[in-house]
Amino acid sequence: MLELDAVTVRFGGLTALSGISFRIAQGEILGLVGPNGAGKTTLFNSISGLVKARGRISFNGREVTSLPLHKRARAGIGRTFQIPQPMHHLTVRENLAVAQVFGAGRYDEKRIDEILAVMELSHKADADAATALALQELKRLEIAKALATEPKLLLLDEVLAGLESNAKRSFMLKLKELHALFGLTIVIVEHDIETISGLCTRAVVLNFGQLIADGTPAEVFNNPAVVESYTGTAHA
Amino acid sequence: MTELILQALFSGVLIGSVYALVALGLALAFGAMRIINLAHGELVLLAAYMAYLVESRTGLDPYFAIPLALVVVAAASFVLFLLVDRIKDHRELNSLILTFAIGIILTNAILLVFASDVRTTASPFLQDAVSLGDLFAMRSEIIAFVLSLVLMGALWWWLKSSWYGRAVRAVSSNRGAAKLMGINPTRIETVSFLVAGALASFAGVALYTMSVVQPATGHALTVKAFIITVLAGVGSIPGVFLGAVLLGVTEALTVTLASSALQELAGMVLFLLVLFLMPNGLFGARARRG
Repeated sequence: MLELDAVTVRFGGLTALSGISFRIAQGEILGLVGPNGAGKTTLFNSISGLVKARGRISFNGREVTSLPLHKRARAGIGRTFQIPQPMHHLTVRENLAVAQVFGAGRYDEKRIDEILAVMELSHKADADAATALALQELKRLEIAKALATEPKLLLLDEVLAGLESNAKRSFMLKLKELHALFGLTIVIVEHDIETISGLCTRAVVLNFGQLIADGTPAEVFNNPAVVESYTGTAHA
Repeated sequence: MTELILQALFSGVLIGSVYALVALGLALAFGAMRIINLAHGELVLLAAYMAYLVESRTGLDPYFAIPLALVVVAAASFVLFLLVDRIKDHRELNSLILTFAIGIILTNAILLVFASDVRTTASPFLQDAVSLGDLFAMRSEIIAFVLSLVLMGALWWWLKSSWYGRAVRAVSSNRGAAKLMGINPTRIETVSFLVAGALASFAGVALYTMSVVQPATGHALTVKAFIITVLAGVGSIPGVFLGAVLLGVTEALTVTLASSALQELAGMVLFLLVLFLMPNGLFGARARRG
């Protein structure tokens, strides 16, 4: 589904990502973890087209490395931000409708109703996205917008950040439901080890822009290099 | 005296409706691209001179110039867009310099081709007085008022109900996130510039029929449009209309009660007063969002 080959990103003299290579198979839920500044969001930005990367990024057999952002969205790469980015001048329903028309190239009101229902936003469908939603609802709208583009791959950037533990658990269940319902491949950036272990079948760890571990959550969280990257001390 | 004031208010509303068309074009380009097009008034002026050209060469009513004005102003808007789109760094600031320069070039091109004489319609039909009770207006002013209302309604519908209109609002709201929704911002910006150009075309022709134009008019129109959008808040069509009417009425009252020499100054004083007393504009922060 997604193949990264020697993906490198430099900002002036700073190397944010260095030669990242791995593959993601269709249907996987992959956790992307690492300490602050490890390069997780930069990797998301490279895949979605927000920053230019060297190397090669292929999606469903097609090289997308030089495709502009909107064309990657149309190709099926959906992405959310840690801080929700609603379209303030549009209602909740319009946010989804515009995403569907321009992202998926069609308008299907039933599908929008379905997404609104799954994301528990039906009661706010005609509300102003800027003023009527609480934080959790804004986070759900962020995912709903991405779903409306009918993505095959969904990149979730710290979507659980700022939620208390009960809300986090219910959001995790929601993500599993979305994965099954829409046949998605999901990559999620998350700091919480419990969340990654409960949600993901595989985890990739970055540190200082380099890939330091790739395996099941249990494997990577017992990897001495990963423990050291988080604690600054070698694993006993 | 009361009659004079009522007549000034009425005239102010009529001219204000055309100012609103000019200001909406400026606001539309600003909403989509976050640039202030300082050549927008010159685009309006270009349309006004197309009306003069058609009337003087063919003897036709100036409103027959609308198709020609649409084509010429659309072409000029498109070239302007291509130039602005080439700016990659500090677009907000650099586009001010670029569009200001293009405005000067357009003004001088018009001066070169049409000379510095003051122009207005020679159509007796358009200049005929129409009475509404005790109030009077030229027929051209009534036509321009109705045309402005129709165009503002059409723009409101387009922004609210068409997919491209919604996409304009999406890009205006959050350009980066709009791209993630599959929206090609360059296409949306092009469409916004062309729609702004269409509004400028109608406004220019209307202005030629109800007022006088000369090469320096373009710059004055840009200033008026800027004042209105700051007063009203970008993106609010009713707000822009009310701001434009307020400016029109202020100018008309100044001309009636003081002197026509103070007309432009009155707009500036209004602008400073509102900024001083209501820094968020007449319609506050909410209207500014949309």
